[in-house]
Amino acid sequence: MTIDLAYVLELVLNGLMLGLLYALIAVGLALIFGVLQIVNFAHGELMMLGSFTMALLLPLFGLSYWPSLAMAVIVTALVGAAFYQFFLSRVEQTEFERSILITLGLSMVLLYGAQYIFSATPRMVDTSWGFEGIEIGAIRMTWTRITGGAVALVAFAALYVLLKWTQLGRAMRAVAQNREAALMVGLKPRVVSRNAVTLAAGLCGLAGGALAPIQLVQPGMGQAVIFKAFALVIIAGLGNIPGAIATSLALGMLESWIGGFYDMVWQEGSVFVIMIVAIILRPEGLFQARGMRVG
Amino acid sequence: MSARPALELTALTAGYRDVPIIHDISLALAPGSITTLIGGNGAGKSTLLRAIYGTNRWFSGQIVYRGEDIHALEPSERLRRGIAFVPQGRCNFPSMSVAENLKLGCYTLAARLHRPRIDRVLSLFPMLRTKWSSAAGNLSGGEQQVLEIAMVLVTEPSLLLLDEPSLGLSPKMQAEVFAAVRDIAAHGVTALVVEQNVHGALLVSDTAVVMELGRKFMEGPAASVRDDPRIREAYLGGNIKETIEA
Repeated sequence: MTIDLAYVLELVLNGLMLGLLYALIAVGLALIFGVLQIVNFAHGELMMLGSFTMALLLPLFGLSYWPSLAMAVIVTALVGAAFYQFFLSRVEQTEFERSILITLGLSMVLLYGAQYIFSATPRMVDTSWGFEGIEIGAIRMTWTRITGGAVALVAFAALYVLLKWTQLGRAMRAVAQNREAALMVGLKPRVVSRNAVTLAAGLCGLAGGALAPIQLVQPGMGQAVIFKAFALVIIAGLGNIPGAIATSLALGMLESWIGGFYDMVWQEGSVFVIMIVAIILRPEGLFQARGMRVG
Repeated sequence: MSARPALELTALTAGYRDVPIIHDISLALAPGSITTLIGGNGAGKSTLLRAIYGTNRWFSGQIVYRGEDIHALEPSERLRRGIAFVPQGRCNFPSMSVAENLKLGCYTLAARLHRPRIDRVLSLFPMLRTKWSSAAGNLSGGEQQVLEIAMVLVTEPSLLLLDEPSLGLSPKMQAEVFAAVRDIAAHGVTALVVEQNVHGALLVSDTAVVMELGRKFMEGPAASVRDDPRIREAYLGGNIKETIEA
């Protein structure tokens, strides 16, 4: 097999884009885990919700990308806020099993609810950009892919600023690091938790919305992503946000390469092989002592 | 007493979940005074402080602060009204810098107050300025204790609750923490302090309250409590009840 440089570059770019969107999911998962000590099994379905919102709204907005994406983020964030208010706020810190059952149950309800309403048939989502894109030499990227990656980059920059420089974000890190100290300085852990879930859900909506025109939209799409996101968060070290971003990018790249040169089976399984090796070699995660932690 | 007490407890019963730990505590703190809470392990000293700040469960009785019963208020509301609580053990945000810890201390304050308030505690504790960018978790035990006190002092509380501020500190650092508490009280802040170093704490206090098995056992001027033979006996070993019965 001769390796074509343009092909390799295309794989790298696609991997980067895919990794950035994975990272949006993984970061939200890490954020919820850090602040609430809850593993959110319904996280993938929130992304699916974002994709369906995008798919359903695009025709209403005359296929225009930005208003549909904005609505996907808003709708998913509001669902996240309601999810916290009605379910997660009732779970105590120590009730780990209850939190798993509640989020897992909600994941199932959303998954099969979507299947009932929209059927399991995958749908193609078209935007006003269609398949237009840019071509540099032999490399071709569609606008939807370029925009997807760019949107994720902007989201990370915004998230960094929020967590690092605003009291709102600092409060999330504070609750994750020491709840008693958070009470001492007058934080309300419930309000902070609600903000964190809303933010994480919004990131899911963004990822789902951006993925909709790139992948086929179907109710099971969240399931495919969520276990990878778990693996990513565990490889990075629970609660470690920069670590989650770095591992997501690495995974996107890896999947793209493996998908480009080997069978699909290897693509799906590779991340879990890496996760198991990582857990055995570095139980605390690859990025344990560095970076901005929320847990 | 002419002045209204800074805090008045009437028949307060509180604890955790379904279990009351402290029973029927009545207590009045004079404004600007330092009161030390003394008692053996499990006497309910920490539970009493948590009940005043509202981080555990209230069962019955009154907690009157500035003429208002505050028992139903959330801790953040109590902090806004001027009650601050520094819990026992390391209570900061270890992977954040000293600067960020102090900014979080300002959480309940309007943004324009952050700078001047932080500047004020920095002039009170210049050590914090030299550690400004260090992660709180990398400070020594004494420095972290000072940081935690500073984190609540930025709110300029009128009632300060301290749980074991000198625990695990070197004698020199303990003396500095006591001096800081006395300095804070001199500015009109009322302090209620739980201390394992009973002798040291009684020397800087005005009043002492002795607790035993969840109830108030004795209360009086620090000097007379210090000279009480039962207290002297109890803190040489054994608990107070046994001492009296013997």
